[in-house]
Amino acid sequence: MSATENKEKSENELHSEVETTNYGTEETTSKEESPVTQILNDLGDHEEFSFGPLHADILPVILYDEGQFHFYGSRSSMEKSGDYLMEHHHIVRASDHNAPDMNLSVTNMVAFQWMAMLLLVILFFTVSKKAKKSGTSAPKGIHNFFESIIVFLRDDVVQPNIAGNAGVRLLPYFLALFMFILVLNLIGLLPGGHTATGTIGVTAALAITAFLVINYTAIKESGIKAWLHHLLGGAPVWLAPLMIPIEIASMFIKPFSLTIRLFANMVAGHTVLFSLMGLLFLFQSFFIAPAIVGFATFINLLELLVAFLQAYIFTMLTAIFVGLAVGEHSHEH
Amino acid sequence: MEGLGLFGAGIGAGISVLGAGLGIGRLAASALEAAGRQPEAAGDLRTTMIIAAALIEGVAFFALVICLLMAIA
Repeated sequence: MSATENKEKSENELHSEVETTNYGTEETTSKEESPVTQILNDLGDHEEFSFGPLHADILPVILYDEGQFHFYGSRSSMEKSGDYLMEHHHIVRASDHNAPDMNLSVTNMVAFQWMAMLLLVILFFTVSKKAKKSGTSAPKGIHNFFESIIVFLRDDVVQPNIAGNAGVRLLPYFLALFMFILVLNLIGLLPGGHTATGTIGVTAALAITAFLVINYTAIKESGIKAWLHHLLGGAPVWLAPLMIPIEIASMFIKPFSLTIRLFANMVAGHTVLFSLMGLLFLFQSFFIAPAIVGFATFINLLELLVAFLQAYIFTMLTAIFVGLAVGEHSHEH
Repeated sequence: MEGLGLFGAGIGAGISVLGAGLGIGRLAASALEAAGRQPEAAGDLRTTMIIAAALIEGVAFFALVICLLMAIA
């Protein structure tokens, strides 16, 4: 059987499976409950707010379907309206069981991002108020803690990579990026918390801001002419047919690799944790349990390191990319 | 046929992790050696090492994500 035939076949199977799930056959329910899909489902996004044992159906559902917007206060009020219903954690039309054209709902991960934003806004307003009050005297307490992070980012991440004025101007962006990713990662490590950086949409959005900052800074610092010239990659003009596609591809590969790195790191760690906890239920033995719990604790501590490391790496790589995009021209002129 | 797909995903994950492990191992060995020769440069070396390790890890994660997609598709 050729590869394309095989793919077609599996796609057909997928479709038939989707169709049969509507009638709830036994085979598909067993497929739905396989451990891997269940773990990935737990790590993914949901239409209801959940934090540990707390499940609250308070998030608004916003759908764009067939040319108009539908607003519902919560999932249950959406189901009560009769136009849409939930099927295997997805919203579908009640009439033909297809997904709506666009789902713009406030999901669990959006709620977690808002929590992180609120936390950061409160923290940083407190710190800035204290900084204004303390004047030239030595910082204390929470002010000291955040000042050490800010100084670290300025002296070890932004300034060495981005020279001059641009570095000073971009420092707030890098600080926001670092703190936001860090807080999202750490909230995900709380018992019952969800990691918003473990969904690809969130990391992709962060990488898109990085892409915009990289190219905006490059154009602003050295002009559109130099930015276009840098597409040559420093090679002679006759190599342009080769260099321009490569440079354009690398422009898009950078944010793509940022996306995948953060997403995969967060998902991988949590999948390992879930799998270890799954072993506990599989063996149900007093002799194996301590070993599993010990190992899970170790992985959890490793995840704590990874939470800091990935926030640092995302910020550092963005700074390096900005520096590369800006710096190449200053050498030429 | 589905078994073969899972088999391929498992083998692929193993090989990609093998490559990444070798790469990061070599990187750490060289960084340690360099730090041993020139202890005053240890801070710079550590930063550069972490970035290079992240890049290697990123490539390995590309492969792992493909394997995961193979396993659950």
